[in-house]
Amino acid sequence: MSDDIDELLGVREIEVDTERALARLRARVERDRIRPVTRAAARRDGPLVSLWVKGLAAAASVALIATLLTVSGVAETILTIFEPKQVVAVPITTTDIQRAVAGLGSYGTLEFSTPPKPYDVPDVATAAKDSGIVVLVPGQLPSGVSIATARYGVMPRTTATFTFSAEKTRASASRLGRTPPPMPANIDGAKLFITGGPAVVQYFDDGTAPKGDTGDPFATLPKLVVAQGKGPIVRSDGVTVEQLQQYLLAQPGVTPQLAAQIRAIKDPSSTLPIPIPVDMATSKNVTVQGAPGVFVGDSTGLGSAVIWQKDGIVFGVAGTLTESQILAVANSLH
Amino acid sequence: MGAVEAVRVAGAAPAIPPALEALFRREYPRVVAIARRIVRDADEAEDVAQDVFVSFYRRHPADAGYASAWLHAAAVHTALNTIRSRQRRGRRELAHAREHDVAVDPARHAERTETRAEVRAALARLDERSASLLALRYSGLSYDEIAAALGLRRSSIGTFLSRAEAAFRREVTRS
Repeated sequence: MSDDIDELLGVREIEVDTERALARLRARVERDRIRPVTRAAARRDGPLVSLWVKGLAAAASVALIATLLTVSGVAETILTIFEPKQVVAVPITTTDIQRAVAGLGSYGTLEFSTPPKPYDVPDVATAAKDSGIVVLVPGQLPSGVSIATARYGVMPRTTATFTFSAEKTRASASRLGRTPPPMPANIDGAKLFITGGPAVVQYFDDGTAPKGDTGDPFATLPKLVVAQGKGPIVRSDGVTVEQLQQYLLAQPGVTPQLAAQIRAIKDPSSTLPIPIPVDMATSKNVTVQGAPGVFVGDSTGLGSAVIWQKDGIVFGVAGTLTESQILAVANSLH
Repeated sequence: MGAVEAVRVAGAAPAIPPALEALFRREYPRVVAIARRIVRDADEAEDVAQDVFVSFYRRHPADAGYASAWLHAAAVHTALNTIRSRQRRGRRELAHAREHDVAVDPARHAERTETRAEVRAALARLDERSASLLALRYSGLSYDEIAAALGLRRSSIGTFLSRAEAAFRREVTRS
């Protein structure tokens, strides 16, 4: 600790009357009839998590859905490794997303062998060292975005195993009053090994904006996010992929339109589908750093993102910026 | 069904569960100390601490493993929000401070009041993480406790902290 700061931040020692304070809390709880949380609600709320961790969790769940949808489209051999070499937009509806999320747990069990544990690091060098990724940084930033506000996070490699279960599928379908197509015997018990990351996330804020005072310390969103990492890789332990595709795309939750979109992917073993919620966002194909990418704009025009794949790494640049600003940042990464 | 659940279902008057009382006795002095580093006023720091515990009680089970870390982080955020909103409400900083301070020597009193206003203003201008790091560290929390409260790796605390100290010095000099 530094003496000068200790002196500035120092306060006179005072005795705190904890019992009096506890009586005050009791009185307030009774007066305002403040109710404690239920266990279930507490689990939803959870401990404090920094904004980018929440964002990463959201991104990871989207990637997982995309991966499972894609796996159903892997049409080559039994032990095909899914490894993204390019990205493609797959238009989906909110209903598709809800069904896909519900579907994860209803077809089997997802178990993390290495759960996602993202953390903040002080600088690019530490991010590169911890992740083992050659971290690209923006060569230019749009006006209003300040390099001085940069924050960095690392998500170590995450691995999970998904095990299909005929019994679980039957049970969840009957709860919904549905009759799913019978699960082929060789899919029951089959495993998918899913690997994601490592990844590095860089955050930049608007250097001129006033400090937030909204009551929620995490309410202020970063102006610009640059993410890069090893894309999801999936290995299967032996189920025939044609059967998997046939089975999953024939599920009551999958619309014919979505099934057709996925079947249309030319090289499904190396194409990462980017789910585009059709009612919330628009997308188009772009070229970034010489590689094909997908540009996504939300329909309000407030935010946009671009995603591409190059040299084994999936990149994403997103922010509350215009299309030309986002693309300029993406092309300036070096 | 636990005791707390039973009370909810019965609709009886809420009572603080013993686990929360134990947590309160253990952590209240520290939550006040953290808030005091920022708001620079004993009464106001106790108000902040009350809000922090009410907020915790509403949303988290008292025996949660992250309870202490949550309380420490919430003390910092709530205290920072208090001084930031006060700053926006107007520049009555010195007047307010004079009312609340107890001092014998008028010259020393004025000097100390001014320093206090400067420290609050400097903390309010710092980014959230730097201000949090300083408040927690100079309230006596260990690196492990700071890492838990702010979701940082222990190995990074030293670097983040020395940056926060440098930024704080700049802000104090500026004001």
